[in-house]
Amino acid sequence: MNLTKLAMTAAVAAFAVFAATSCGASKKSLHVYNWGDYIDPSIVKQFEKEFNCKVKMDFFDSNESMYAKIKAGGGGYDLIVPSSYYADIMFKQKMVQPLDKSKLPNVANVDPEYLKKAVDSKMEYCVPYLISFTGIGYNKDKVKNFRPSWRMFEDASLKGRCVILNDPREGMGAALRTLGFSLNTVKQDEIDKAVKLLVEWKSNIAKFDVDEAKRGIASGEFWLIQNYNGDMLQAKEENKSVEFVIPEEGGSFSADTLVIPVGAAEPELALSFINFIHSPAISARNMQFTKYLSPNLPAQKLLPEEFRSNPAVFPLPEIWAKCEVIRDLGEANALYSKAWDAVKAAEVR
Amino acid sequence: MKRSTRLPVYATAGTLAFFYLPLLIVLVNSFNKSKYGGEWKGFTFDWYGQLFSDVHIWGAFCNTLLIAVAATIVSTVLGTCAAFALHRYKDKLQFLHYLMIYSPLIVPDILMGMSLLLLFVSLKVKLGLFTIILAHISFCLSYVAMVVLGRLQDFDFAIVEAAYDLGASRWQTYSRVVVPVLAPGIIAGALFAFTLSIDDFVITFFVAGPGSTTLPIYIYSAMKHGSPAIINALSVVFLAMTFALVYISQRLLEDRK
Repeated sequence: MNLTKLAMTAAVAAFAVFAATSCGASKKSLHVYNWGDYIDPSIVKQFEKEFNCKVKMDFFDSNESMYAKIKAGGGGYDLIVPSSYYADIMFKQKMVQPLDKSKLPNVANVDPEYLKKAVDSKMEYCVPYLISFTGIGYNKDKVKNFRPSWRMFEDASLKGRCVILNDPREGMGAALRTLGFSLNTVKQDEIDKAVKLLVEWKSNIAKFDVDEAKRGIASGEFWLIQNYNGDMLQAKEENKSVEFVIPEEGGSFSADTLVIPVGAAEPELALSFINFIHSPAISARNMQFTKYLSPNLPAQKLLPEEFRSNPAVFPLPEIWAKCEVIRDLGEANALYSKAWDAVKAAEVR
Repeated sequence: MKRSTRLPVYATAGTLAFFYLPLLIVLVNSFNKSKYGGEWKGFTFDWYGQLFSDVHIWGAFCNTLLIAVAATIVSTVLGTCAAFALHRYKDKLQFLHYLMIYSPLIVPDILMGMSLLLLFVSLKVKLGLFTIILAHISFCLSYVAMVVLGRLQDFDFAIVEAAYDLGASRWQTYSRVVVPVLAPGIIAGALFAFTLSIDDFVITFFVAGPGSTTLPIYIYSAMKHGSPAIINALSVVFLAMTFALVYISQRLLEDRK
C-alpha cells in the first residue's frame, strides 16, 4: 500500500498545482510586455497604488521573438514595448491599435525635435519610451589623441584593442556615416564603399561583439568600443576612466515605444499607463534608473545638472542633427545581410 | 599493454576541469563586487540580497518550480506507462507508436513552441501556467519513456510471473515488484524531466501567458539591459538546487538497496 499512497499523494499534489494556477485576482490587472530590467520598479508600484490595479510584467529578449509570438496569436497583453521599427511593422500588419490622444494629455511633453526624426511622428500608434544612442565608448586614460570620430577604428595604436558591434545595421551604419552616407541607404555603390571601409577596420579591431565588449571596456581589456550609451554609463560606474561620445559624423539611435495591441483587455488602463509614464516627475525617475533618455522635455528639466550636461545621454544639437534612426527597409534588408556576410568573410591582411 | 600510463587520470582531470571550471568562475563572480566580472573588486553578498528582494525573480522562480514539479510528476507516470507498453506488447503498429514517442526528441524546440502556440490559439485555450505545463509534459514524457525503456531491456519478466504464482494481485505485483526494480530508471527519468523543464526557454516563451514568466525567460530578457552579476547569483542558486537534488536521489537509491 506504500506505492498506492504515494501515487495518491502525487495525484493530489498535481491537482493542487493545477488548481493554484487558475486563481484569479479581483482587481483589474494590466499586462505589460517589456524588455528585462527596463523600467523602475518603484514607478510600477506607484501606478498600482494610484490606479488601484495590479501590473503584471512579462519579458521578451528580442523584437523578433516578441513579434513571432504575437503574430501567431499568443496575445493577452495590454501594453507592449517594441523598438520603433517593429512598432511600424506591427501597425502595418494591423497588430496594434491607434491611440486615443484625448486620453494622453502628457504626450504633449514629447520633444517635437525628436518627433521630426521619429518613425511615427504624429504618435498615431506609438509613443516614444526611451531612446538609446550608439557611439564610441573609450578609456580616456589608455587612448592617446582621441578624436570623436568613427575613424578611430583605423588608429594603429589601438590595434587589437577595439571592438565593433556584431550587428549588421550598426556596423555598416558606422562605416556609412563616416563616408557621409545615410545609414538607411539602399544604393548598392554606397553599401559597397562601406563594406570596403569596414574590411579595412576589420584588420585593426579585436573582433565584432556586443556583450564581451561591455565587459572588456569595464575591465580594461578593450580601450575603444562601439556600444550603446546606457551600457557605457553603467560601465563608467564600474571603471571611472570610461567615457562615451557620439562621433562627429553622427551615429544611429534607436527608440523603444509604447504600443497597445489589438484585442487588449484593458486598453483604457494601458492609455492611463502611457500617460503616467510621460508625466515629468515619473519620466525623470525612470531616466535616472535606466540611464536612457526619454524625449520628454519637462522631465529633462527636472534632472540633476550632471546628468543633463552629460553628452552621453544628451547629445549636442549639432551632433543630434547627424543622428539617424535605423529604419526597417523591407526587402532591401537583404542588401545589408549580404554586405555583412561579405565583411565577415573577408580575409584580414 | 603499458600499465604505467597516466592518460586516464589526465583525461578525467581535463574533462572535469572543462565542465566545472566555468561553473567555478560563475560561483566566484557571484560574490564579486564588480558588475561585469572583469576584475575582482571585493567580496559582497549584495547580488544575493538583490536577488531575494526582486519580486519579478521570485515570481519567475516559483512559476518555474511549480511547472517543473507538475510536469515531472505527470510525465514520469505517463512515460513509464509508455515504456512499459512499448516493451511488453508486440503488435504491428508498435513501430509507429515508437516513432510517436521518439519524435519530440528530434523536433527542434522552436518548431514545437510555434506549433503548440498555434494549437492553443486555435483551440482558444487561454495561455498561462497550464499551457506551459502541458507543453513541458509533451516533451518530458518522451525522455522519461526512453530512459525507462533502456532500463526495461534488463528486466526479467520471470519475476512478474513468480509474483503471480505466489498469489499477488495485479496491482500488488506492479507496486511491490515491478516499480521497485525499475525505480532507478524511473527516478533517473524523473530527474531528467525536471532538469529539462526548469531549463526550457524556447518552447516556454511561446506558450507562456501574461503573468507566467519563468526563470529562463527572465534571464534571457534581462541580458540586454540588466545586470550580469545578478544572473551569476541566480545561477549559483540553481546549481545548488541541482546538486542537492542529485544528492538526495543518490541517497534514496542507496537506501533501496
